[in-house]
Amino acid sequence: MSFSPEQPRHSSIAPHNGHMPSCGQKIGRRELLAGAAGSLALAGCSLHNPNAPKPLVSITRATAYTQDLYDTVRRIFAEHRLEVRGKRVLVKPNLVEFDAGVPINTHPLVVNAVYDALLALGAKVRIAEGPGHRRNTLELAEAAGFFDIVPRFEDAFTDLNLDDVAKMRLRHPESRLASLFMPRTALQADLIVSVPKMKTHHWVGATLGMKNFFGLVPGGVYGWPKNVLHWAGITECIVDLHRMFPNTFTLVDGITGMQGNGPIQGQAKEAGVIVAGADAVAVDATCCRIMGIDPERVVYLTLAANARQTEDARVQVIGERIAAVRSDFDLPPSFGWLRLRR
Amino acid sequence: MELAHSSDISGILASQNRDGGWGYHEGASWTEPTVYALLAQLAAGSREDHIARGLAWIARSQRSDGGWAPLPFVVDESTWVTILAALLLAQQPGVAGLSKAVPWILSQSGRESTLANRIRVFLLGLHPDMDRRFIGWPWFPGTAAWTAPTALAILALRKIDRLQPNADVRGRIDDGRAYLIDRMCQDGGWNQGSPRNLGYEATSYAETTGLVLLALHDMPAQGLEKSLACAERHLAHCRSAEGASWLRLGLLAHGRMAPGTELPRRTVMERSLFVLAAAASEGRNVFLS
Repeated sequence: MSFSPEQPRHSSIAPHNGHMPSCGQKIGRRELLAGAAGSLALAGCSLHNPNAPKPLVSITRATAYTQDLYDTVRRIFAEHRLEVRGKRVLVKPNLVEFDAGVPINTHPLVVNAVYDALLALGAKVRIAEGPGHRRNTLELAEAAGFFDIVPRFEDAFTDLNLDDVAKMRLRHPESRLASLFMPRTALQADLIVSVPKMKTHHWVGATLGMKNFFGLVPGGVYGWPKNVLHWAGITECIVDLHRMFPNTFTLVDGITGMQGNGPIQGQAKEAGVIVAGADAVAVDATCCRIMGIDPERVVYLTLAANARQTEDARVQVIGERIAAVRSDFDLPPSFGWLRLRR
Repeated sequence: MELAHSSDISGILASQNRDGGWGYHEGASWTEPTVYALLAQLAAGSREDHIARGLAWIARSQRSDGGWAPLPFVVDESTWVTILAALLLAQQPGVAGLSKAVPWILSQSGRESTLANRIRVFLLGLHPDMDRRFIGWPWFPGTAAWTAPTALAILALRKIDRLQPNADVRGRIDDGRAYLIDRMCQDGGWNQGSPRNLGYEATSYAETTGLVLLALHDMPAQGLEKSLACAERHLAHCRSAEGASWLRLGLLAHGRMAPGTELPRRTVMERSLFVLAAAASEGRNVFLS
């Protein structure tokens, strides 16, 4: 099940000529103009206007997966003045594999706290994910505890791997891809709330809000894993997907993260934080600093930064100070050069 | 046939789209669920009008290059689902389309095993975890080979070789078998195709372990004892109807006992695979017959 069928909402995406689905999903002049405006806005940002407001990132201490998280997440959304009444919001957790006792996935309590808070704010919310390895998403979600914690999870959930799709052309792609088929549920959302796990990653250094968007790409078209993204350039595809969905909010589950050989075979790391904000690059860069990773050496962050958000001084942090919560994660083998100097 | 088989067939028939195909859930017809729904009906001896409409959809959606797209008329590229369509058409030799599909299937191989990529890996001084000489099939053209499409390709090509013996086809079957054996996990089962990564061992999945055992049905059992034991362990703890059905198909293909399960079956894929496993338990395995 997806949101009601309407036109894609994300302004930076454009239809591929002649390949739009036949059930009335067309892009009108308004959307094309909006896309052009989005491009202009992006171009404007890339000039690094020194007077542009700094993106806001909140760091909140949260040391355990308890009922307190429901209030914590509502407070975070209030701090960021999230306006979602009447909007279609897709909550995108990081659901990858299940291994008892290994913190691979976003904790279901965090996902439910986000879901609950968005419903309370008047949004129409769906939780959606397209795992990269496992065919049976619901079995994976059940094993990971989502059925126990999210009320009527199956009714609230969309398997993005098997959702109907539309072809989207990539504007100025960083990767070798010219277009991607993407799930309608994601394209129809007014806002995507990315709820990743704070983890190291053995191919790109760190996996946070931006890398989490690999789960939007449909396995039903590209397979399990979505290997087309790997051959087209993982780093570059992260950036392309980030640009495809400009209307996002990121809330990172850094209560217990993963260090070492992430994103699946690493070890638990108690970081005790939730990091959130509307600028995914700024949120990910802030997470990196908390993890002891230099964001200016994480290639996908430097590629995506259109307002120098990888620089400490270019982000407005509220709540805890980075130095107060910094807790260096063990880095994946061969990524020692990412370590952030103290 | 066993358990709730008739209700599974009813559920499959009720969810057929007006265009003749089936979707994963509600919505457009996709090639994969359509093939499995048709195989299940063929195994169960279902109503011919539904089968005919489904086969017509399959015929209509074949692309000019001989392949099929996962979501025909929207996705404009032939992919691994061509293997599934060929598996179905090999079950129905009178239906056209198979002769164009076979060259497409034989033209596909994992990009990691191409000479150009192997030279690249050598020049870069990389040390991949897996042997890249073994040639399997990718999910999507131009990408690496993976376990599931390779196992399905072996099943389809075996049927095709029985219809029209062909040395090229047999050669690719042998390559595919070598690929699958190389990709076995330490526990004896199979996952998506990465049994080890950066030196770390990975564990197997229920669904791929069952599927690969089915594809390796004619290998001597003594060479697969560890794998069969792994499949039995998976089946004892499996929480997915789809996974359990693949495990049953794999175990039954090796003459092992594989009791039916009562896991909930809500989708066309789950119902179809359950029917296919039930038919196999009664000696009608459409993947092998």
